[in-house]
Amino acid sequence: MDKYLEALPMFVDKIREIREIVISNIVLLGQIPAPTFSEKRRAEHLVERLAEVQVDECAIDDYGNPIGVIRGTSQTKPPIFVVAHLDTFSEVRDDLHYEVTDKIISGIGVSDNSAALGVLVSLPEIFKRLDLQFASDIVLVAPIHSLGRGNLKGVRKLLTHWPSPIRGALCLESVELGRLNYFSYGMIRSEISCSIAVQEHGRRRYEPNAILILNEVINAILGLGLPQKPRTQIVIGRIAGGFDHGKIAHDASIGFEIQSDSDAMAKVLYADIRDIVEGINKMFKVELKLNRISNLNATRLNYNHPLIKCASQILNHLGVEVFSEPSESALSIFLHKKIPAITLGITWGTNFHQNDAMIEIEPMYKGIAQIPALLMAIDNGVCDE
Amino acid sequence: MNKNWIKSNTFHHSAFSDLKRLVAEKQRKKVAISLCFPTLNEEKTIAKEIIIMKSELMIRYPLLDEIVVIDSGSTDQTRNIARSYDVNVYEANNILPHLQKFKGKGENLWKALHVTHGDIIIYIDADIKNIHHRFAYGLLGPLLFTDKIRFTKAFYDRPIAVGENKWRPTGGGRVTELVTRPLFSLFMPGLTQILQPLSGEYGGYRSIFESIPFHIGYGVETGMLMDIYEKWGLDVMAQVDLDRRVHKNQDTKALGRMAFVIIKTFLSRIESQLRITISQDMCDEMIQYSLLNNQLQPDICPLEQHERPPIKEIPEYREKFMTKRKHC
Repeated sequence: MDKYLEALPMFVDKIREIREIVISNIVLLGQIPAPTFSEKRRAEHLVERLAEVQVDECAIDDYGNPIGVIRGTSQTKPPIFVVAHLDTFSEVRDDLHYEVTDKIISGIGVSDNSAALGVLVSLPEIFKRLDLQFASDIVLVAPIHSLGRGNLKGVRKLLTHWPSPIRGALCLESVELGRLNYFSYGMIRSEISCSIAVQEHGRRRYEPNAILILNEVINAILGLGLPQKPRTQIVIGRIAGGFDHGKIAHDASIGFEIQSDSDAMAKVLYADIRDIVEGINKMFKVELKLNRISNLNATRLNYNHPLIKCASQILNHLGVEVFSEPSESALSIFLHKKIPAITLGITWGTNFHQNDAMIEIEPMYKGIAQIPALLMAIDNGVCDE
Repeated sequence: MNKNWIKSNTFHHSAFSDLKRLVAEKQRKKVAISLCFPTLNEEKTIAKEIIIMKSELMIRYPLLDEIVVIDSGSTDQTRNIARSYDVNVYEANNILPHLQKFKGKGENLWKALHVTHGDIIIYIDADIKNIHHRFAYGLLGPLLFTDKIRFTKAFYDRPIAVGENKWRPTGGGRVTELVTRPLFSLFMPGLTQILQPLSGEYGGYRSIFESIPFHIGYGVETGMLMDIYEKWGLDVMAQVDLDRRVHKNQDTKALGRMAFVIIKTFLSRIESQLRITISQDMCDEMIQYSLLNNQLQPDICPLEQHERPPIKEIPEYREKFMTKRKHC
């Protein structure tokens, strides 16, 4: 049996022994608000924490990504990246207050992505306790500007300017333990907004209603033919608009994603939707706009790639059921650059994007144990084949 | 009144954030440090307090030698949760069990002296939502870096939680400003320099705490300050700015009851110090009124007050600590 598989039970026990450090990092980092584009305070704190545990090089790069490098023993082996995005979906800007019991940690953003961040920052201490040294440098990064309009800009910039080849990457997400993501859809995320200028109302025979106009758009989108291959779907996931039950709505918007195994198909559909928007715009003479928020390329590692096999073995060995689904995370940026990468979950939880988001503490030890095991495997060449 | 005290004995926690230096000073002074959390139904906050203190000030930096929870008989999961993080948890009633049993924060603090072994003891309330290890190292700084200071008290910018993730930026300290400060101004103006005399976080040398009586309830902070001031003067004290402390808000009636106890403690103390004479017995009931079905109804709250003597007068304590000290 491989060394790292043998070591897994010991890893879990040793990590449990320093649970206070891990939970402390999750809480102290997670309580600092970090909406996308306002991550500076959390970035500074993260670098301070890394510096405190004598990580060899700690800095915030020119773009604002906090980075820590644990120097490896080899002068020639390329580095391995461990990544957990820094920003949260929550727009709350006051300090947050997490609650902890013997079983759970709860609070806004803990499951996206404070738990993973806390684990990232705890890794230097965990490596020490496990007595691990790697040949490759281990680069710990918490990219900024990842979510929504951030469009993964932090990690994109980082990889564009990174000077050397990269051996492999592990992307960490707080939930769910057992996830093993190795592909991403081609994705275009957009918003359609309808706005009706107030001064025009008096001159119209039929006053247009922004919600009803968007309804026309939705119906037209639903009429688009979607192929079964490449697998493609359009998800209309957000809607907002109007002011009062009995008032004509002057503003409304919908948010949607085109998801496809093929980048080309996503682009074709986006063009179709742009035509729909232009057509309806002309018909109703309103301000109907289509805005692209972010996009991803369809990328994948082959399902029989040694990194996936290895990650799967580790999870099986830990007694964790493995599941795969497409990921929108930094994974797609690594894969797009031909860097072998997977996304892993740290623990289980509920209410992911709500105020009372919660993660479980005990499963976290297994979730963390997979990281050093995978780093050992990558360091031994599992991605070099 | 020594007007320079506020300048010379007021610190900011950031002056002591170099934890390595604190640990080195602790080792040089050869002192052990205990941290005590007094609790009553604090299941929502106790774990976070223990975890952060243990992680930052025991595992990463060996500044604390022990963390102890003294519980007043919580009916929620406080004790179980605390035990799950491997700290010593005691029910106050089980410490020195032959003594008459009282319930209150002061009782927990007093009994903590018997079960902890530190030369320095830090007391931190267990209901702090934004707990950070600065609450402990800030209080320890002046105790370790000076020889004269034997007691430290926290003060804050205190927002009060008014709802889920909503904070009122100023407030708190109402009882301080309406009760304690006027009383200190009238009789002990030196103590007015202590900005938040009722703050629940303080630290000091065992030799101080074991030599003063402890009020078992809300009066513990007031009595403690008055006794230390009377016995050793202001110069053994310091206050430390710990920035923000977010805690549960209390309604006006609860604050009224707190004020009752503080006033009574103050008057009893000041009478025993022969500063004033009160020629009648003080009552033990706080009477407040509520409007019920359009009728004013009295809410009579018995607030009987008890005080523990200096713990060094208790034989078991003397046996445990004083004898050992003599042998040393």
